[in-house]
Amino acid sequence: MYRSEADALDAEVLECIERGHVPDFNDLALRIFAHQLRYNQPYAKYCASRGVTLERMPESWDAIPPVPSAAFKEAALVTFEASRAELAFETSGTTQGRSGKHYMENSTLYDAALLAGFHDAVLRDAPQRMRYLLFVPNPEERPQSSLGYMMRRVAGFYGDGHDCWYLSGDTIDVGRFIDDARKAALEDIPVCLGGTAFAFVQVLDALAERAISSLALPPFSRVMETGGFKGRTRMVKREDLYADLARMFSIPQNRIIAEYGMTELTSQYYDDEERVKRPPAWLRPRVVAPSGKTLPDGVVGALAHVDLGNRSSCIAIHTEDLGVATGDGGIILLGREQGAELRGCSLDAEQLRALQRK
Amino acid sequence: MTALQRVPLRKIVRAIAGAAERWSDGDFPPRVRILERIAERTGYSLPVVEYALDRLFFSITQSDLEATIRSELGTLEILDGFAEHAGRPQAWAAPVGRVCMIASRTTIGVAITPAIFALCAKCDVVVKDREDALAGAFFDTLAEELDELKGAAQALVWSSDDEHAPDLSAFDAVVAFGSDSTLKAIGGALRSGARFIGYGSRASAGYVTRESLTDSQAKEIANGAARDLVLYESEGCLSLHVLFFEHGGGVDANRFCSMLAHAVERANVEFPLARENAGVSARIAQHRDLAAFRAASGTGAVYADADAAYALFLDPPKREPPQFLPRTLGIITVDDPSQALAYVRDHRLPLEGFAISSERPDVTQLAIDAGAVRLTQFGELQHPPLAGHHGGRPRIAEFIRWIDKT
Repeated sequence: MYRSEADALDAEVLECIERGHVPDFNDLALRIFAHQLRYNQPYAKYCASRGVTLERMPESWDAIPPVPSAAFKEAALVTFEASRAELAFETSGTTQGRSGKHYMENSTLYDAALLAGFHDAVLRDAPQRMRYLLFVPNPEERPQSSLGYMMRRVAGFYGDGHDCWYLSGDTIDVGRFIDDARKAALEDIPVCLGGTAFAFVQVLDALAERAISSLALPPFSRVMETGGFKGRTRMVKREDLYADLARMFSIPQNRIIAEYGMTELTSQYYDDEERVKRPPAWLRPRVVAPSGKTLPDGVVGALAHVDLGNRSSCIAIHTEDLGVATGDGGIILLGREQGAELRGCSLDAEQLRALQRK
Repeated sequence: MTALQRVPLRKIVRAIAGAAERWSDGDFPPRVRILERIAERTGYSLPVVEYALDRLFFSITQSDLEATIRSELGTLEILDGFAEHAGRPQAWAAPVGRVCMIASRTTIGVAITPAIFALCAKCDVVVKDREDALAGAFFDTLAEELDELKGAAQALVWSSDDEHAPDLSAFDAVVAFGSDSTLKAIGGALRSGARFIGYGSRASAGYVTRESLTDSQAKEIANGAARDLVLYESEGCLSLHVLFFEHGGGVDANRFCSMLAHAVERANVEFPLARENAGVSARIAQHRDLAAFRAASGTGAVYADADAAYALFLDPPKREPPQFLPRTLGIITVDDPSQALAYVRDHRLPLEGFAISSERPDVTQLAIDAGAVRLTQFGELQHPPLAGHHGGRPRIAEFIRWIDKT
């Protein structure tokens, strides 16, 4: 019963991904949700505590109770036996250093979603296979990193077979990167640089230390930036970072594409030219008030996501990330307000963590 | 020689108490003029700002100022010149010199109390004022009460990268409030031998004993705890950040949490929420929903409203420290004080206040062992007396230099 239901849903979602179109998002979302209520016990119990059960189903996809992303640290949120997971990625450990896991029953949906999303957003005008020079965790070293996995799949599928990885632990091998970038320029092979914003800042700093003010990459080269500055002490304004990247690598800013994803999701958002985050057809965002109600367009709230790709885990996820809806399906991401100043003279969580580290 | 050195102490005390009395009046024009500016700066609602000003200025009375000085120095006369006291040789509590006060940007008048004791010690005082100019406005009233205070008390506005910022190495003592890193930076700018009086960020806790858990007493405790929680959005060092609840009383933890939730809702009416901050609300909602997720799986419980105006977490995992979010509180059930102490130590919570529901030696010992510097009852946590030892330190003794005559 479970197998046939799961396989049928997977096939349906896969078809949507391949076509880039979901004929009836609401219907499919509710059927996946019902499947999860049947087989994902922790999620079903949570939904029951919100008054949602198989007998009292929501009327539309935007009323599916989103599970808080931190719940992935509390339980295996799966419709199947977690030990059978084909993929398992670790969520970030920002809460007391504990991380959770997002288990996926098979890699088919995950791979299809990431490849299709990446192609549509990043490779749309790429004339040939590119070389991937990457500042993300190497899956050989960190198999639990969803970002590393994603870029390995992308490079393997769309790359020229000479992808290079420069991040090891917290260290970036900038010397090797410079050699590889110059080689690609000589060979006239367009390059896709992939990395977190913080990694790019480190690379630019290291290049500046070596008095390198330009490392021009071949035409059609591009940058995929993701991940922001979470947990880092040095932050740079995104527009400044992009300007520096564009100058250093002779890449127009419209070929610097920001990705927004999270381990708890199967699918990713990518910026359009207006820097609005666009989801693929099988992913929908909601901007919600603390009450869980959807906020009007333009009003700041927390982001929740309904991802059909999460068939074997949780279809709806609620985050602390802030954003606004643009009214046409996109969102503007505002981050987590990490720099917001608290009033008063009490400790805050950051200070306590600093004390505990001492 | 400082501006106040030749002014008799009693005259200074009378002037300070007189100015405070005028500021205690809600219709005092300078206070009325500044009220909204404070609310704008801090984000707190007007009733909370009014309350903060009332608490601050009502506590500054001549009798309390004199009593505090006597308790620390023995006599008042010792600040006016050489005097004998309690069989000790003649001594003079001379001013330490020029004193600078730097308060965090987000508190209300926290520098005013140390400033008035520094003035009582006859020091020259410079306070780093904020956008609302509260310190400056109060100093103007002081100057109206006593001419000499005009030259002694100055409020200046500067930022850390301001080229006109006072040179901290020119001060004989610096009082600063803030995070560890702020205090470290300020302390590093002082000249050798200067006194550094740093008040770091701290937290407060409470302990409900089983003996106090009768129906009527539990309600009273809940009402007090609610005030301790909601005032100043739980962001003061004396706000209630974690509550230990002892098993075995006549009211169980769930019922107590229910009482507390009602009390918080009432307190939210008296002290309305601060200006909304979407990021903070999102974090509270995330914690609330996570607690609901845990509760659905049989661990703990959550008492909260839909808008995340408050959230009470019953028995959150002990591995988690307090959340330090506005109007959120973890209630941790314990069998005895040793479990509460273990929690405080595990999370290295630097404690300022400790509210106790009933006197019991082992709970008092817990508060002491946990490092608290103020023990009180619920509902009083955020009302430290003028003579209290904020941060475990004296009020006036740090602003004087003893000179013995033998």
